[in-house]
Amino acid sequence: MRKTKIIIDYSKCGNATGGIDPRQCSKCLQVCDPAVFVRHMAFNVKEDNPYDPQFWQITPVWLSLCTHCGKCVKACPQKAITVTF
Amino acid sequence: MCDWCMKHGAGGKWYLNARNYSYELAESMNLQAYLEEQWKNFEQVYIRKIMGISSIGLGYKLRMPIIGRVLRWSAERMIHSESRNRNPVRADGHFGQVIPIEEAKLIMLNLAAEPIIQNYCMCRMMQKGIKDVCCINFGVLSTVIEKLPRFIPENTKVRLGREEAAAVLEEQNRKGRVTTVWFQPVPYICAICSCEAPQCGGLRLRMDFGLHTVYKAEYYAEVDPDLCQGCKTCIAGCQFGAIRFSPTLKRVLIDQSKCFGCGLCRDRCPHDAIRLVPRDENPVLRGKY
Ligand code: SF4
Ligand code: SF4
Ligand code: SF4
Ligand code: SF4
Ligand code: SF4
Repeated sequence: MRKTKIIIDYSKCGNATGGIDPRQCSKCLQVCDPAVFVRHMAFNVKEDNPYDPQFWQITPVWLSLCTHCGKCVKACPQKAITVTF
Repeated sequence: MCDWCMKHGAGGKWYLNARNYSYELAESMNLQAYLEEQWKNFEQVYIRKIMGISSIGLGYKLRMPIIGRVLRWSAERMIHSESRNRNPVRADGHFGQVIPIEEAKLIMLNLAAEPIIQNYCMCRMMQKGIKDVCCINFGVLSTVIEKLPRFIPENTKVRLGREEAAAVLEEQNRKGRVTTVWFQPVPYICAICSCEAPQCGGLRLRMDFGLHTVYKAEYYAEVDPDLCQGCKTCIAGCQFGAIRFSPTLKRVLIDQSKCFGCGLCRDRCPHDAIRLVPRDENPVLRGKY
């Protein structure tokens, strides 16, 4: 079984790891028809107000539904996404 | 009626039983603290490891021999958990059912506990980055969500009256969203959502992975061959791919094994050609939720 791998370069996207805040972009979420990506608050960071988290990142979750269309790779302004097997 | 009606329906449908909406129930389950824990970091739910396994690549994990079967079994158990030591961060005991719009309105007007709020749809926000005011939450959950700024709509009212909330749901139905009612956690009911696949987490787990996060409605759609004019309006409304136009018959066919009974096709048919039939009345579809 071929398994899709999607890698996000968190030094480019993810504001807890030196990248941009994905809430300001989210292009990958919008162009991906099967909705493979999830935008979520970062783990293990110190938030001033845990009810209003400020550190976010993107994780490709539903990998088995990715069709390798390449739209996310093209749309990402940070060139942070790689899709391979 | 499904198993959940037997257990929590007091002789009727689970979502029409007033007790499941009551503050007494929420209090006896200590839900304020539970839901706060669950909602604070809800967007992490698919990424977090649960018993060593996260939802990342779930489709592949479910296909693994043996492990896949165990995983499916434990996921179903978690989704439907009624155990005392439920874990809020796994969203234990959180599942729902599709309902037609008239039942959603009935719930809003008569059963939902106040305060009633409208807020951004979490699924659309976390999977599409889109802010869309459409979820109606009520009872204890409202006061929990009101503490979380990211879900609170800008420039619009948050707390709604019963009629206003019913109107919001009707508007969403008109847009083509599937109306769903949710246990959170079972048997407490505190949300009516207007969902759209594939970015709805509940529909995703059901439609793509066969997990019972969302049950089909107590109804299924039936088309009257004499009334259908073949205009195809209904097809665009079905999120479940259950309707197609037959060039031979010059009318539509509904695949009832695919139909979730949402009623969207019925609601938009200009010729009143579709009706919802109670699932219980059909010997083949009865019990198939
Ligand atoms: S390659 Fe296409 S299907 Fe796969 S994650 Fe990117 S946009 Fe989605
Ligand atoms: S498109 Fe690229 S930069 Fe934008 S949110 Fe997605 S991963 Fe981050
Ligand atoms: S269940 Fe449906 S309406 Fe509710 S948050 Fe998810 S997609 Fe939005
Ligand atoms: S909308 Fe009504 S009349 Fe038109 S095709 Fe569908 S069932 Fe037939
Ligand atoms: S056929 Fe009609 S009732 Fe059934 S799922 Fe499709 S739109 Fe909903």
